[in-house]
Amino acid sequence: MSRSYLWIPATLCALVAVSYASAAEKSRAPVKNEAPSISKQIDTAIEKRLADEKLTASPLADDAEFLRRVYLDITGIIPTPEKAAAFLDDKDPAKRSKLIDELLASPAYGRHMADIWTEMMVPRSSDNRRLQSEPLTSWLEEQFNKNRPWNETARDILMASGKQDENGAVTFYLANPTVDKMTDQTSKLFLGLQLQCAQCHNHPFTTWKQDDYWGMAAFFFKVQPDNIKKANKDDASPGVSETNKQGGKTKLPDSAKKLPPKFLLAEEAKLKPSEPYRPALAAWVTSADNPYFARAMVNRMWGQYFGRGLVQPIDDMHDGNAPSHPELLGDLTIDFGTGFDLKGLIRGICNSETYQRSTKTTEGNESDDHLCSHQNIKPLTPEELYDSLMQVVGKQARPQDKNNTRKGGPNPLSRVGFVTFFRGDDDNPDMIEYQAGIPQVLRLMNAELLNRGGELLARANRATDDGKAIEVLYLGTVSRRPTAEEAKRLQEYVGKHDKKNAYSDILWALMNSSEFALSR
Amino acid sequence: MNMNQTRRDFLRLSAAGVMATSLSGWMNVLAGRAAESGVKPRKSCVLLWMDGGPSHKDTFDLKPGTDNGGEFKPINTSVSGIQISEHFPKLARLMDHGAILRGMSTSEGAHARAKYNMHTGYREGQGGLVYPSIGSIVAAELGDPKFALPNFVSIGARSYGSGFLGPRYQPLTIANAARGVENLKAAVDEQQFNDRIGLLEEMEAGFYKDYKAGSIEAHQTTYHRAVDLMKSKEIKAFDLSQEPEKVRAEYGSDPFGQSCLLARRLLDVGVRFVEVSLGGWDTHQDNFERVKTLSAKVDPGMSALISDLKSRGMLDDTLIIWMGEFGRTPKINSKGAKPGRDHYPKAWSTVMFGGGIKGGQVIGKTDKEGATVEERKISTIDFMATVCSILGIDSNKVNQTPIGRPIHIVDKGAKVVKELLG
Repeated sequence: MSRSYLWIPATLCALVAVSYASAAEKSRAPVKNEAPSISKQIDTAIEKRLADEKLTASPLADDAEFLRRVYLDITGIIPTPEKAAAFLDDKDPAKRSKLIDELLASPAYGRHMADIWTEMMVPRSSDNRRLQSEPLTSWLEEQFNKNRPWNETARDILMASGKQDENGAVTFYLANPTVDKMTDQTSKLFLGLQLQCAQCHNHPFTTWKQDDYWGMAAFFFKVQPDNIKKANKDDASPGVSETNKQGGKTKLPDSAKKLPPKFLLAEEAKLKPSEPYRPALAAWVTSADNPYFARAMVNRMWGQYFGRGLVQPIDDMHDGNAPSHPELLGDLTIDFGTGFDLKGLIRGICNSETYQRSTKTTEGNESDDHLCSHQNIKPLTPEELYDSLMQVVGKQARPQDKNNTRKGGPNPLSRVGFVTFFRGDDDNPDMIEYQAGIPQVLRLMNAELLNRGGELLARANRATDDGKAIEVLYLGTVSRRPTAEEAKRLQEYVGKHDKKNAYSDILWALMNSSEFALSR
Repeated sequence: MNMNQTRRDFLRLSAAGVMATSLSGWMNVLAGRAAESGVKPRKSCVLLWMDGGPSHKDTFDLKPGTDNGGEFKPINTSVSGIQISEHFPKLARLMDHGAILRGMSTSEGAHARAKYNMHTGYREGQGGLVYPSIGSIVAAELGDPKFALPNFVSIGARSYGSGFLGPRYQPLTIANAARGVENLKAAVDEQQFNDRIGLLEEMEAGFYKDYKAGSIEAHQTTYHRAVDLMKSKEIKAFDLSQEPEKVRAEYGSDPFGQSCLLARRLLDVGVRFVEVSLGGWDTHQDNFERVKTLSAKVDPGMSALISDLKSRGMLDDTLIIWMGEFGRTPKINSKGAKPGRDHYPKAWSTVMFGGGIKGGQVIGKTDKEGATVEERKISTIDFMATVCSILGIDSNKVNQTPIGRPIHIVDKGAKVVKELLG
């Protein structure tokens, strides 16, 4: 399989070339078939381990399973019935690989990644109720769609200054406005490390000491995020700056220690008190030599596509927490660290047989949950569920729906309202666990918005016969055609009921089914 | 065999009714036996959660005549020798049914960690687990699994959930007592709704047959419960308009008071644990005005609840807990324009009514400033173990997490406050 970066548009080649030059020892000239592709590396490593453990791998997913899964994983929304039918009927043996390319090139990819990252970067706290997160989501969407090298995006986030309406990336600091939050988030999101325990005492099961924590936190001591409440009152865009006054109005927790800035388990930064601290941190975090950065993102992307990281939990990659496939993680980290090409990494993952395996278990592999003998069923995230449901009922989210700061909470009918309602309490929900409770399910069953028919139902009503109507309902919800048995049973149902109701009943059942709410 | 799958499968299959026949038959027999042998009815619990950490010196542990005693005066109660804040006149008359625990002494002073600790008995992140809150524990231990309503209902703010006990014991959260449970009515008539459910059941059976995953079971369990809820007669409990105006007025027109009334109605139909929250107690600034206002909401609601339960003969079987996540500083701060008090877990108060406790007493004593506990310190786990004892739950009982880790309901080393037990 050819190296992914051959697909990067010409304008980005220069950037890629620059980052290659700076990682001289790891640089490779773009040569076709020079070394095993990411997909091959993955499959080889996974299969070897399965053989060692004498585990049988499940067969590859059928086209319908693959279709819906890859649409959700890459773009966060199910395919339209036309797209579904087109893919299922396509006879091209390379259609899966082409679909992956098509989805990565679509703007929905960037939006989906931006949604995921906004959720992680903006914790839901009572303070953040007042903070607009859309500027961050838009900014991230742009970076992801341009496939900007991840180290550059990360650097921009860490160094972000200015007003939110001019630089959406500052939202990161506005949402995490104290030194300890900045440190915790930076470690989790960019280093894959849960440093927060070491804030108050030496970490119970790693080598990190409290001094290590405060050495990292020191880089943030000069960051000044504006007070959101005040900015809203003044009708101004809140901003972030780096001043020379340490701490400023930011209250430090009781556990705080004033130490000189020091890179985690590495040397002191040796910065002058008058210079800004963040550039040194950003450079260290995103450098080709940083032992955590590339690895953290590889693990996170693996988790996003497989439901479980090579290291689990995704962002707890300390020494005592061994990866399930250490060599594979190492190889993927080296690949990714050369150019930080996110789309390339995803392309490699999705083209692997390991990714494309069925979620159906086979003899002996039912209890495997980390060796990838089968894929994992993942419940749709609240955003994916909303967007997919809206596509079915034919409603486009209005721009003002993206505003999450409406007084009294977001409009429950809006995307933000729906997502908040479905999120639950857990800030780090397990990707494989089903989270919805009774109130959520009641809404799915009985909410007016989801019962008023819409786009897909209208198409069914226009179909020339019952069979075609049922088929379009299936294609538009669970992205497959009904089996012969299902079709027969449902046609019987239609025969026995008022046709107008029958179609909407079938649609209702499909929308409320596990098959809809889960990605198989 | 993977412990993970086995235990989860069992719980979920039985919950989803797949094993219903044998299990339900057995349970009816058990219930029948219990009734015959005169076994006591199971107890229920109402947690009145005072979010933000109420100042103990301005509610239930006043220190009149001291420099930082504050603006409120103590008043006598129906129990000679016990005095509480003047802003709880109705509660004062019911003191013979209540006990004040003035020796609370805990270790978390940050809201999130303290709330978590007081809801679960464990520290946030301890052992890398998400622990079940007391509501979920009570639902699991005392709730009837076939009951149409969830056994844990939370009114007001979202409570802490079921953690590793799983989605079966998640609370039903009601944001607003007056609005009740949203989306409880089907969008179509009953016949059509039943047809739809029938279709859904068929689709589910097919899908599960092919894929058999835990998340499918969880989805199905939740749907079954939701539909049971919609069809139950118990949902009438959510309709406050069925209460006479006089009763509604007694509880107080504030949402908190109406939530207490809703709690009583839920207890009437058999819900085991209701949590009602009232926020605003984090009085770093303007402590006295705010505590006065909040007390004025608590007093009618809480007393109406106690009196109502008493007149229905339910008070002995219903434990009412009044508490927040910590107390507030003995010294009054002068940070802002109006005086306030800050977080203080070292010495604070909780209050209990009903549940068969020995009422009319104060347990524990703080020093003259209300700063340290001089007698009868009660830690978080002591408190939790005591609540379990009162409710008839074995706090040493071990629950298994999904991967098979044994976790006691209450962590080891807890000492029950025996003085409370009747």
